Amino acid sequence: MSLPCGTRNYSYATDIAIIRTKTQWVMFIAFLLLIFSFPFYFPRFWLDVMNLIGITIIAIIGLNILVGYCGQLSIGHAGFMAVGAYTTAILTANFQIPFLLALLLSGIAAGLIGLLFGVPSMRVKGFYLAITTIAAQFIIIWIINHWTDVTKGSMGLGVDAASIGPLSFDSEASQYFLIISITALCVLFATNLARSRAGRAFIAVRDNDLAAEVMGINVFSYKLLAFFLGCFFAGIAGSLFAQWRGHITPEDFTFQQSILYIGILIIGGLGTSIGPIIGVVFIRLLEQFVTLLAPLVERSFPDIPSGFATGLSPMVFGLVMVVFLVLEPRGLAHRWNLFKASYRMWPFSY
Amino acid sequence: MEQLIQYTITGLAVGMIYALIALGFALIWKSSRVANLALGQLVLISSWFTYGMLVQARFPIWLGIILTVIFAIFLGWAIERFTLRPLIGQPALSLIAVTLGLGYFLEGIVVVAWPISVAKLPQIFPNEPVYIGSAVISQEYLWAAGISLALFVLLSLFFKYHKMGIAMRATADDQLAVQACAVPINRIFSLSWIFACIVAAIGGVLISSIGGITNALIETGFKSFSVVILGGMDSFLGCMVAGPLIGLLENVGAGYLTAIIGPGIKDLIPFVIIILVMLIKPYGLFGEERIERI
Amino acid sequence: MRKNRTFKAVSLVVVVAFIFTVLAGCASQAPAEKPAVKKPIKIGMSICFTGTAAEKGQPIGQGELDAWKYINEELGGINGNKIEIVWYDTAYNAAIATTNVKKLMDDGCLFFTIVSSADATASKEAANKAGFPGLVIFSSPSLTNPPGRLYSQLPDYGDDWAAFCNYYLKNIWKGTGKPKMALAILSNSTGYGVRDAARVAADDLGIDIVTVEEHKTTTISEIDALTRIKAKNPDVLFIGSTPAPTSVILKNAYELKLTPGMTIACGHAGFTKALIDLAGKDISDGIYGVFPTVNWGDDVKGMPKMNEYCTANHKQYVGNNDYLCGWTASLINAEIIRQALKNSSLDVLAKGDATAWKIAEEKGFRMVKGYDVEGLHGPVDFSDPVDRRGSKSVKVFQIKNGEMTALTGWIDAPYIKYQ
Repeated sequence: MSLPCGTRNYSYATDIAIIRTKTQWVMFIAFLLLIFSFPFYFPRFWLDVMNLIGITIIAIIGLNILVGYCGQLSIGHAGFMAVGAYTTAILTANFQIPFLLALLLSGIAAGLIGLLFGVPSMRVKGFYLAITTIAAQFIIIWIINHWTDVTKGSMGLGVDAASIGPLSFDSEASQYFLIISITALCVLFATNLARSRAGRAFIAVRDNDLAAEVMGINVFSYKLLAFFLGCFFAGIAGSLFAQWRGHITPEDFTFQQSILYIGILIIGGLGTSIGPIIGVVFIRLLEQFVTLLAPLVERSFPDIPSGFATGLSPMVFGLVMVVFLVLEPRGLAHRWNLFKASYRMWPFSY
Repeated sequence: MEQLIQYTITGLAVGMIYALIALGFALIWKSSRVANLALGQLVLISSWFTYGMLVQARFPIWLGIILTVIFAIFLGWAIERFTLRPLIGQPALSLIAVTLGLGYFLEGIVVVAWPISVAKLPQIFPNEPVYIGSAVISQEYLWAAGISLALFVLLSLFFKYHKMGIAMRATADDQLAVQACAVPINRIFSLSWIFACIVAAIGGVLISSIGGITNALIETGFKSFSVVILGGMDSFLGCMVAGPLIGLLENVGAGYLTAIIGPGIKDLIPFVIIILVMLIKPYGLFGEERIERI
Repeated sequence: MRKNRTFKAVSLVVVVAFIFTVLAGCASQAPAEKPAVKKPIKIGMSICFTGTAAEKGQPIGQGELDAWKYINEELGGINGNKIEIVWYDTAYNAAIATTNVKKLMDDGCLFFTIVSSADATASKEAANKAGFPGLVIFSSPSLTNPPGRLYSQLPDYGDDWAAFCNYYLKNIWKGTGKPKMALAILSNSTGYGVRDAARVAADDLGIDIVTVEEHKTTTISEIDALTRIKAKNPDVLFIGSTPAPTSVILKNAYELKLTPGMTIACGHAGFTKALIDLAGKDISDGIYGVFPTVNWGDDVKGMPKMNEYCTANHKQYVGNNDYLCGWTASLINAEIIRQALKNSSLDVLAKGDATAWKIAEEKGFRMVKGYDVEGLHGPVDFSDPVDRRGSKSVKVFQIKNGEMTALTGWIDAPYIKYQ
């Protein structure tokens, strides 16, 4: 059930519209109002968590294009984010380039580096391809650490908060508006991309690249396109991350993070447009939850041994991840679709 | 020349230890096509368990090692039974993400049970170095190399001749066909996890007797990634060749390139080599080439 | 069907838990509106209890918390005011470290303490922007250059190196010309701190850096690096790393017959009791090390109390100097509050808002002059407008018969100008 009951397609325009019914419009506007009113009643901590969520969503959307739609496993996404972040840091500080242009250039820089590491995908597949992306991760971070004239190595670079014309985004709330707006644009772009000619080609390549080739799809160029787009988003995310954080070092973009990103995407749901969003919100909130949990446990039960409360955080984090995957191995997006189908059918179960 | 001999010997010996950890990875991949991201945590937790047996409970070494192996068997069984069995038949990537969650969980257990966070295992192997000409090697590495070679031979024989081993290979090839032949694939997965945990435990004991037990062991697990992929994911022989090869390239490469390119080049060499190898042999050195049909 | 129901139940539990945390997160805001009875001063801590740096975060964090237990329960607080402690684990994850600082601000903390330099780097700009002062236990030059809201408790890894160079030139070096030094450093901020300092200051100090070798925390053999170092024939090897890799280097140096013979020294991140355990008594014998605190068990004023608390609560950390660093951080925290209370009132400070932070920095941090930290490490002074290091002195130790023996009193760790 991809559509509410009784909705029919009479023209091409209605067929391709994302929002179909009046109820959907009402809910969509209500959702936007809700999202954009957060800064008025949430303290800065939660706003900041949501900023982080927004940035991560952009990165995961890119990963979703690469892994979810095109089936090219990448375990070096944090490395590509680092390219974007450092591009922004260097461009805005050394060349006084306005933020929006730097944002775009960061995306392109990361995309081009992604293209470079995508070349082996001509011959290599699956886990064997993963190693070239792991290599990308390590090579990029190694270069940042050693090219100290430009990147200052482990000292890191300071980045000013973004500004567009007279608007300066230096508070949590203004950051929130900036990040959420760009995130929304990215979500829209990715959703439409998946339904376009390129998106369908990606899916064909993922499902069976030989068959895709026989159908006349240029497999290699579409794989490269996926690498470019996936890393472009990573670059955008990195750029936003840099100006959000204000200071970046190579230690912000670790291999462990790249692995976690893959985990987030799988938990959310591969190859869906809602999956990355659900996955990121789930994992980032879970992270905060376990961080707040440990001191709470220790305060409530003062007699437990000291290592217990701190060890609880990773334990709960891992356990929730395992339990959710065991119960919903196809990702939370799949469960979301089941839920939608069931309320559309309600009260009839068929 | 003297230096080259030293680099070669060290590289080969260190590579054998990489190979050992990589064996644990290949074992699970070979039978169930799951990439085990919790490998480093398995190494970590079994090293701490050994510490608990030998130092905290003061058991003699032989008993401690036996208990560690029993612990590994239990761990392997439990992991398979409670996290992976419910996922049989689901997309492979979900299984991989489960091992990621498992890794966090095991890390938490380690913090709760052993908040000491850095420790040394008692001396298991004599630490007097052996001198080969002008080159030197510590006995620990020789023992480690010998043990990983022995494990490799045992596992290869098992997979080649034992009924269960053959069934495991068949499962990797085609799960449905194997089920149709009434092979209990539950038991096969369980067994492969048990084997993998035993190998990880032995590898953990060997590594931590050299470098101590710290959280860095988790990253050691990632190191095996490059070894297995270079060797071909499903080949034990691949691991045993690729491990020493990577060790060798790292040491010899770093030996002559550090002066030219800069410090830290050692960590990049394996990746550069692997990318080059991948472009020529996309399934690794000894990986099984899959013939694709539409 | 059953699986479906389980899923619903689990999701429900998780959703409830989320809502609960959100409420808990906001709850600390709500009471601030009402005139509270007598609000205590709150102090924040962001500690890497888990993750890669847990081997440092655990002893330091527990040391901090134990010291507060001592101050609050035994001394009855500061001037009779009990201090409330708010702590969060960063899991050595930069993103979490950043959001933790915001949480501590929202919680109304007066200032915060942070353990590792990586976590502190992630929190730096957030603290600077909001004017929220913080104390960093293990610092790195980028945190305090240019001076911001962060203050470092101890000299950093680069200062260690410089202090040792001075000591070496004065007391050990017998030759003529510049001594040749090799660096073996960890490939993260711990090691790169030494590298960066050596780049800037080696010439001024009169040291010739002949080679730099990097290693990872996972290393199990550094024979190749030492072979290259041996070929350069340096007079002294400085290791900037953590205990486990340092022990590997020491063992390999022994195998290559570099020791006994070559002078080897370690920076403070690697020079702990764990190093002697890992490398063994024989191999670690004669190794020099720099550490910014006194040795565990030395006869100074604060030692018996700390030993008592550590033995009672965390036996496993007895003899661990990291625990000592955590303990002293809390003593310094207490001194800052004492100064701030002297110059302001409890009501103002307890609010924990931007005004309180400003007072905490100007009337608290900056007023700490020559505080002796009960003799546990060098005197702390935050009054210098540029040099944001509290303690500016270290001791040089040597391992003799498996014990760290102090060779010097407090020697000055020179301030390195990076800009």
